[in-house]
Amino acid sequence: MIAIKQRGVLPGFGLAMGFTILYLSLIVLIPLSSLLFKTATLSWVDFWGTVASARVLASFRLTFGAALIAALINGVFGLLVAWVLVRYKIPGKRIIDALVDLPFALPTAVAGITLAGLYSSNGWIGRFIEPLGLKIAYTPLGIMVAMTFIGIPFVVRTVQPVLEDLEKELEEAAACLGANRWQTFVRVIFPAITPALLTGFALAYARAIGEYGSVIFIAGNMPMVSEITPLLIITKLEQYDYAGATAIASVMLLFSFLILLSINLVQWWSRRHAER
Amino acid sequence: MGIQIQNISKQFGNYTALDQIDLTVPSGELVALLGPSGSGKTTLLRIIAGLETPDTGTIHFDGEETTQRKVRERQVGFVFQHYALFRHMTVFDNIAFGMTVKPRAERPGKAQISARVHELLGLIQLDNLVDRYPAQLSGGQRQRVALARALATEPKVLLLDEPFGALDAKVRQELRRWLRKLHDEIHVTSVFVTHDQEEALEVADRVVVMNQAKVEQVGTPEEVYDRPANPFVYGFLGNVNLFHCRGNESGGQHGESTFPVDSDGVNIGYVRPGDIRILRRAESAADIAAEVIFIQGAGALPRVELRRVDNGETVHAELPREQYRQLALKIGEQVYIQPTNIRVFVPDYQI
Repeated sequence: MIAIKQRGVLPGFGLAMGFTILYLSLIVLIPLSSLLFKTATLSWVDFWGTVASARVLASFRLTFGAALIAALINGVFGLLVAWVLVRYKIPGKRIIDALVDLPFALPTAVAGITLAGLYSSNGWIGRFIEPLGLKIAYTPLGIMVAMTFIGIPFVVRTVQPVLEDLEKELEEAAACLGANRWQTFVRVIFPAITPALLTGFALAYARAIGEYGSVIFIAGNMPMVSEITPLLIITKLEQYDYAGATAIASVMLLFSFLILLSINLVQWWSRRHAER
Repeated sequence: MGIQIQNISKQFGNYTALDQIDLTVPSGELVALLGPSGSGKTTLLRIIAGLETPDTGTIHFDGEETTQRKVRERQVGFVFQHYALFRHMTVFDNIAFGMTVKPRAERPGKAQISARVHELLGLIQLDNLVDRYPAQLSGGQRQRVALARALATEPKVLLLDEPFGALDAKVRQELRRWLRKLHDEIHVTSVFVTHDQEEALEVADRVVVMNQAKVEQVGTPEEVYDRPANPFVYGFLGNVNLFHCRGNESGGQHGESTFPVDSDGVNIGYVRPGDIRILRRAESAADIAAEVIFIQGAGALPRVELRRVDNGETVHAELPREQYRQLALKIGEQVYIQPTNIRVFVPDYQI
């Protein structure tokens, strides 16, 4: 309400708002609601039979679980990469910086095939790991590897600018007040970058949940073990079971929405000090 | 806690920030490091704090060498120009920070911390803002919180880097008077950096004038203002008029003032705008005829700009309001000026 009353520097609140709603409707809301309409053609019993079947539930657990672990790994190591890129003078820094974006640009299928090749029993990495009794390719572990790969740029790219803007003086102030390095990191630096880190985490998580191309090549796709939900949806589509596919998709959508919403709430809470 | 600075030098690449600085800050004094930007004053302050390491030289706190000691072990309070408050912490948590990061054995209890924070809040007169975040405070309030935070751990030395530089004129003036009062109450040895000569003269017990990596003069505000050691200090501490004077071997004469001259019989006399007398009629042959070219009547000391008739040089004068009203000058009028209190610096031939 206040936004309308206050005259901003840029005019056209009404127009901008109208356009935004129209645009979001066309791009996001209408496709998503058609998904729900298609799902609604199923009876309640059929819907429940589809989404609560053991195979589908196993895929949900795998997809959300693996994506969570991948996003957590990215949260830790993405922060580290961003830290190194911002704080240290290292030779070839620009090149490393550019490398971070590669998972964005690479076709996901290419990433999947490459990773599968690397981690399979006779691949460059797989041949050293397999004798240790650890199988990565064609297991849930491989899924996490692929999800980590495609998620890393999100964390690095959201944390990096915030770290760059962080005043050096804050650390100096903490040191003058007697804080050691660990206390300075935990109590001064980390809280300052938490909102950005959460954004990066949420983006990496969302991307990993929806990831299809790179995962299916390395997953092995064994029902109940290493079958991700997006693959299950494709399988249903190939069997012309459109309603079944949309039913699974809408449950996935609901969960994703709830997860992202809760991350946003945490993020909003972590930004509470920024209010003016 | 006195600070002894001996032979401190610091280079940044090819740039010399500090060149063999010796300085003693007596215990309990409030000392200003005054100089133009690039004079090395902030670097010196940061070296005292341990935020920067000197290339050569030593720092002693009361005879105890601290040159190699880490920042967090030096027990200095540092106040930054841009406050450097922790944005995600309330005013309370900011002030308490220094106490809460102490090793467990030395850490005061919750009640003690709270009592100390409230004591400091009283000192900075912000008791009612204890739960605010820095973003909800004005600049002046933020700087006071930063000061309280620096004082919370009872530092041996308080260092302030252009503490009022980011504030507007009014708040600035208020805060520096407040700082002076505060220092009179707590007597912690303090060093503050400023490029504002008014601030240094008003607040400090002792002023250290710096220029181009060297100390030009150390003295009380009166000393440096009234008896500047060299032309730089004279010019930096206030506005100045230059008079090129001729004299003979025994000394120059200008009106009633005598002053030494160099071998060519030429010297430059320095006169503050406040020491220029403006006369309607010439009183002696030495009085200089000049034309009024600009008048700024607003302010505590009205300023008049005059052009000398003989050589066209501009002379700035400031005169008390009452005298200004009596004279009732108008632009274009011809008057006479009489420089009083002329300062002359004998050129240094060692260079």
